[in-house]
This record gives sequence, structure tokens and C-alpha cells, in this order.
Amino acid sequence: MSLFGTTSGFGTSGTSMFGSATTDNHNPMKDIEVTSSPDDSIGCLSFSPPTLPGNFLIAGSWANDVRCWEVQDSGQTIPKAQQMHTGPVLDVCWSDDGSKVFTASCDKTAKMWDLSSNQAIQIAQHDAPVKTIHWIKAPNYSCVMTGSWDKTLKFWDTRSSNPMMVLQLPERCYCADVIYPMAVVATAERGLIVYQLENQPSEFRRIESPLKHQHRCVAIFKDKQNKPTGFALGSIEGRVAIHYINPPNPAKDNFTFKCHRSNGTNTSAPQDIYAVNGIAFHPVHGTLATVGSDGRFSFWDKDARTKLKTSEQLDQPISACCFNHNGNIFAYASSYDWSKVRTPGPALGAPRQQSQALGSEGLGLSCDSSQDSHVSLGRSLSPPCKGKLQDFLKWLWGFSTAFGQNPAHRKCSASVSHYGLLCSWAQKHRQAGGCTL
Amino acid sequence: MAICQFFLQGRCRFGDRCWNEHPGARGAGGGRQQPQQQPSGNNRRGWNTTSQRYSNVIQPSSFSKSTPWGGSRDQEKPYFSSFDSGASTNRKEGFGLSENPFASLSPDEQKDEKKLLEGIVKDMEVWESSGQWMFSVYSPVKKKPNISGFTDISPEELRLEYHNFLTSNNLQSYLNSVQHLINQWRNRVNELKSLNISTKVALLSDVKDGVNQAAPAFGFGSSQAATFMSPGFPVNNSSSDNAQNFSFKTNSGFAAASSGSPAGFGSSPAFGAAASASSGISTSAPAFGFGKPEVTSAASFSFKSPAASSFGSPGFSGLPASLATGPVRAPVAPAFGGGSSVAGFGSPGSHSHTAFPKPSSDTFGNSSISTSLSASSSIIATDNVLFTPRDKLTVEELEQFQSKKFTLGKIPLKPPPLELLNF
Repeated sequence: MSLFGTTSGFGTSGTSMFGSATTDNHNPMKDIEVTSSPDDSIGCLSFSPPTLPGNFLIAGSWANDVRCWEVQDSGQTIPKAQQMHTGPVLDVCWSDDGSKVFTASCDKTAKMWDLSSNQAIQIAQHDAPVKTIHWIKAPNYSCVMTGSWDKTLKFWDTRSSNPMMVLQLPERCYCADVIYPMAVVATAERGLIVYQLENQPSEFRRIESPLKHQHRCVAIFKDKQNKPTGFALGSIEGRVAIHYINPPNPAKDNFTFKCHRSNGTNTSAPQDIYAVNGIAFHPVHGTLATVGSDGRFSFWDKDARTKLKTSEQLDQPISACCFNHNGNIFAYASSYDWSKVRTPGPALGAPRQQSQALGSEGLGLSCDSSQDSHVSLGRSLSPPCKGKLQDFLKWLWGFSTAFGQNPAHRKCSASVSHYGLLCSWAQKHRQAGGCTL
Repeated sequence: MAICQFFLQGRCRFGDRCWNEHPGARGAGGGRQQPQQQPSGNNRRGWNTTSQRYSNVIQPSSFSKSTPWGGSRDQEKPYFSSFDSGASTNRKEGFGLSENPFASLSPDEQKDEKKLLEGIVKDMEVWESSGQWMFSVYSPVKKKPNISGFTDISPEELRLEYHNFLTSNNLQSYLNSVQHLINQWRNRVNELKSLNISTKVALLSDVKDGVNQAAPAFGFGSSQAATFMSPGFPVNNSSSDNAQNFSFKTNSGFAAASSGSPAGFGSSPAFGAAASASSGISTSAPAFGFGKPEVTSAASFSFKSPAASSFGSPGFSGLPASLATGPVRAPVAPAFGGGSSVAGFGSPGSHSHTAFPKPSSDTFGNSSISTSLSASSSIIATDNVLFTPRDKLTVEELEQFQSKKFTLGKIPLKPPPLELLNF
């Protein structure tokens, strides 16, 4: 599979997107598209840790593969390597020193991929698909934590085929996050458990879910002293709950907010509600990004409890997102997340449609192929000024206008120039000179 | 102090910081320390303590305004009586508070219940109309246990099913099973929307005690129980490998029951329940339905039943007719319906789930049916879990089991003895 040809950046996103005559909304934000995107939906994204110079992005997809790109400062993405599993890859993570990548898959195994030798070996085994995988680096031990649909959480020393520890979960593991010494696991049936990892992992507390529906994604945030202090939990109902572990005033400090809905302000009219597919916290500013099935991503400030920015709507749901280690790059994956399972229609054998709304396909049978998955990167300029909000604003500004300054970008937008819609957006933006929040 | 008009409308943006008076919320708010909502006595609190403001699109001007407020501009008023989901308190649902189940409650509790139910109805309406993911559990109040009748299936699990079916070229059965799930869900939502007494009782007991008590409640009485919807897709994939088994964790009970006639099962792709097996099973079906109330939710049907094979029912789903005796188990039909698609399963795979781990596990690893991985293989049914030995049954129960039909009100709660099942 020689999918990694030499690339020259964008415009050649490996798809024939620009050939179609319909309005192409696959990249309304004019962000950089990563070249050689996976052939099927992207389930997870992860950027390399700060210990590795440069930025490397790993994406696991439903095409059973895990791909690695180097993302350069110019925005250029260079595909580097790929590994295969025998089942769709559900989660990926890096080791703390950036030399290994861990991948969890539906084939019930997890593998450790040594990037320097490009070898991958199996390090974990479960009885059901492995949904989450995280690297834990503690002062006195380090291990890989895998959560699976077999209702167990296992901790693996990569050298041994037996887990170091197995913890039982009340239900299937749906999502997890780890920032030492805290780990949070959200399970089916609205289960929520916090673990403490000092010395050895143990259950710290079971929390009653602050959300009324199925848990979809979770992300831990840190306080000003850089210690994990709480988490954000997203559900399928377009709602995110911010929950502190030991707040001074739980009733006031913990809250939920609605997001990824079609008409956020007007709650009385019927609205479309979309699942929150991923949550990521900016490593420096502490603001959070949410991506949803509606094809938008939004940035929020949880302390000021405000929404900072929402993107334009992409034509497909956004299934995963990730910040790089210093927060300069935000990557999001645009691919079908199986959310449109409403009425099975006569979709069997329907021709695959790219960049069309998926509503008519019912069970989404038509969306499992190449052209539909993209990973995009939002570039940004590092903000020079102080003050968190100021910083973030600037970052956003850079985020939305960076493309204008890069000649290669302009080339990209030129090639879509016959889509009047996109072009004018770009124009307006350049003239406005700032982002409209 | 002036009374805050916005607060009265439920829309005060300042919450505690408001300079105007918020009547009624002061006392209630001050006393409450724990985040947990207590239904009694606090009927002014919205069930959802979500703050409505976050969904606002922030205009640039208001954005800059927010900065001076810096840190925690606490707009969240947890006990704020903003009934965005409970809508109006005056909405009469058609059930008066004078009906029996509520008669014994105090007015406060009554109001709470009413609000709860209203909230549920509203939520159901929103759920239906909004296009959100339907295979999710639901709880009316944040910290409360889930309402029975809904199963949690994540999009990834469903998608994996699809992938597995793809390899087996049996997409139609995948579609069928999904259609079933959708139907079940829809039925349950409709049931919750149009509350009648029995569902109400069940709901309230659900909410208060967790889903455990649901089974008996349904057992006795309501014919609507038929729509009760054991969601049937026992998604608890414990032990045995399951990428494939996502829905078909029927319990060993089932397998055991069918062990007499694997062929029967194998033959019918459609609802898995072959006629031949049906007769034998039908008698046990109702029993299973009611057995083991402690095995929680009929809803979780196969889920949380550790030893509980009581829901061997999946097999029965195909037999609504034969289940006429037990009011409940018709819903199991869809549950199994999923099982039919299992036909697709076993084949590509290889998985004869002969992994039968512990007798206590209920996972059956269903792929049996169409493939010869029949049900007969490997079910470790520990007898006393699935069937009660004769001597443990009371005379009355024994009589019930022996009679042709169960009499309502006397349906035994224990599974029938093995001897009485005739395959």
C-alpha cells in the first residue's frame, strides 16, 4: 500500500474533492488538510509529547491502520509511517519520551509501535475490543492502561504478557483520560469512576453522572498549579459537564453546558442535538475544545463559562480532535462517526457520496470509504501578550487568518475558487483582519 | 429590594450576584450543601441544573464585558427554578394527582413526582425530535439511576457490528437488528411520553430505587408491559470474545434450554426461535421473565445479570404467541431479533464462542444459531441458577408451573424446575 507519496502540502489532499460540482463544505475553515488521510473514519488523534522535537501526529482509523505524519511549522504534513491492526483502531497514545506509540484496536489487542524501528508488537490482550489506551508515567512505575468493552481496565508492563493489574469496571469502558496522578474512566450505563495512580492504580471514587445520557468522551483538566483537578465529560446529547473532584462548593463549581446543537439559544424550538465526539484541553491556556457530530468544533472557556468560538459547519461530523504539546496546532478529523442511524433506508448499494450530507444514507452504509475522511490542522501564531484571554484571542486570530499569509495556502484556496462560497469567506476574513467571534 | 423580574421568569443572568431579590431561592439554596438533588421538599429546583446561558452565542461586546468579571462569574444557580425541560408547571398531562399511586404522597412529593414525570415527557419529546443518538441510557435527574428500557450502545459498537456483518455478507440481518433496536427504542420513548399508571409506577420506582424493581412491577399486571422493551441487546460482553457478540449475549439459560434442540434453532434464521424449541421454552419464558427480580431491570435484560440466566429469553423472542401467558416477554422478541442476525456472526468468524468461562457468567456468546455453533455447545448452565430444583418451590408455584397458563398475580418469581421444561 503505497499511500505515502511525496507531498507538497495541501491542495493535493488525495481526494477528488475539487472535481465535484456541488458546494464543497469539507473544509470551510480553510485549515490545512493533512495529506494521505486514512481511507476510513478516523477514530482517534494524538500529537507527540514535548520530549520529541517537532510535531508528529498519529491517527487511528476504521481502515485498521495507524498512520504517522510529521507536521512542520510551515503547515506541511509529511506522511511518515503506518502500521496495521486486524481490526479498526479505536485509540492511540504516545509514550512520554515520544519513542513509542500505543494503539488499541477492535481486534482485542493493543500494540506498541516503536517508531525508530517501525516495528509493532502486541502488548495487551482483552476479551473484547480495546476502547482506550493511555500511557502512565509514575515516579515508581510506568505502564499502559487499557480500557475495554469487556468491562475491565488492565495495566500492562510492556514487557510481559500478563497484566500488572486488572480492575473491574461496572460496564463497558467508553472513554478515559489520564493525567498523572489522576485517571478518569467513563463507562456505559452512565458510569463514572476516578482512579488515583500514585503508588499503584486504585479506584478513588465513583461519581454519579452529571449527565443524563450516554457518556461519549472525557478529558481531564489541570488547575493553575498544573495538577489535574477535574474533568470535562461529553455525552451524546450535545452537553458537556465540567466536574471538579474536590471543589470548595460542588453545587456552584460543577456545571454543564449545552453545545453542538442546531439552535443553541432558542431552547423552545425543536433543535437538532448532536453528540460531542471529543474534548481536548489547550495545554497552555486551559481552554477547551469540543468537536461534535454536527461537523463543528467550538472553543470554550470553562472558568469564565463562555463560548469563545465556533467553527463553520463541515459537511461531515468531526470524530476526533487533539492539541499539540504547546497548543499551537489543533487537529481535528472530519469523518463519519455513525451517528446517523435513524431509519435504515435502502442504502445498501447506494453510491458513495462525498461531501454530501449523510442524512439520506440512514445507516451510513455509504460512507465507509476513502474520500470521506480528512484530518485538518488549524495553524496558529504564538501569542506574544499576557493574560489568558488575550492570549487565546490572539491565538484564535492567528488561527483563522494564518492561511492568508502562507503562499501555499493561497494556492489552495485558489484551486477551489469556483466555489464562490468558500472564496468569499476567505476574502472577507482577510479584509476583516480579525476573527469574528 | 426589588424583586428580580428575570428570576421570576427563570432567566436571571446574574444568579447569586444579582442585586435584586430572588424570592424563594435564598433559603433553599443556602441550606443545601451536597450536589445531590433531593426530591422531597425542593420542588422549585429544576431537574437540570444546567445553566442555560452557555448556549448563547457570545457577541463581541458581551465577550469583552465578561473579562472584568474574570474568574468565576458564577452564573450557575444550581437550584434555580428554570424549568427549561420541565416547562410549565401547569401542564396537565391528563393524570390527576388523585389517582391511587400518588394518593399517599405528600403534596410536595406529589409535585416533585409530577415535575419529574413532566420532565421525562419533555425529554422524550426532545430526544425524538432532535435526532440525537438513540441507543443511550437515560436518567431524568442527573444523579439518579437510569430508567429501565433503554440500552447503551455506543456508535463504535454499532459500527463494529456493521463491519463484522460486512465480512459475512449478511448486511440485511444487520439492518434488521438495527431496525429492531430502533423500534424498541421508539416504543419505549412513546411509552414514556404517554404515561399511564403502570408506566408511571414503574418509572417512579425506577428512579427511586434504581432499576431493580422493574421486573416484578411489570410482571404483575400491566398489559402494557408488553411494550416494556427489554432492550434485548445485552451488550455486556464480558469474558468471551465479543467483537461479534455485541448483542447477543444471551445467557446460558437460553442455551441450556435449547440444548435439546440445537437443530431447531439452527434452522430458523429469522427469529432464531425455531418452532420446535418454542414449546419447551415458552413455559419457561415467562418464568424467566419474572424470575429474579434482583437481577435488575428487565431492561438490562441480559446485562446486569451476573448469574442471571434468568433472561434466557432471547430465544423466546421469536415467540410472542407462545408467550401469551406471560405478559411480559413479548418484548424480548426484538431482543432476540438481534439474535437472528447472529446468523451473520458466527460464520465469518470463527468464533464459536465456546468460551464459556464461568458458570456465573451469563454471556453466551451467541453466535450459534445459523451456524452449527449451536446453542448446545458450551453452555454451562448451573442448574440452580437457571432452574430451581423442585423442592425449593412452594406448592403454589409448582402448581403454576404445571398449569397451562400462569394466572396473573400468582406468577412465580423463581425459574421453573428443569424437570418441568419439555423440549
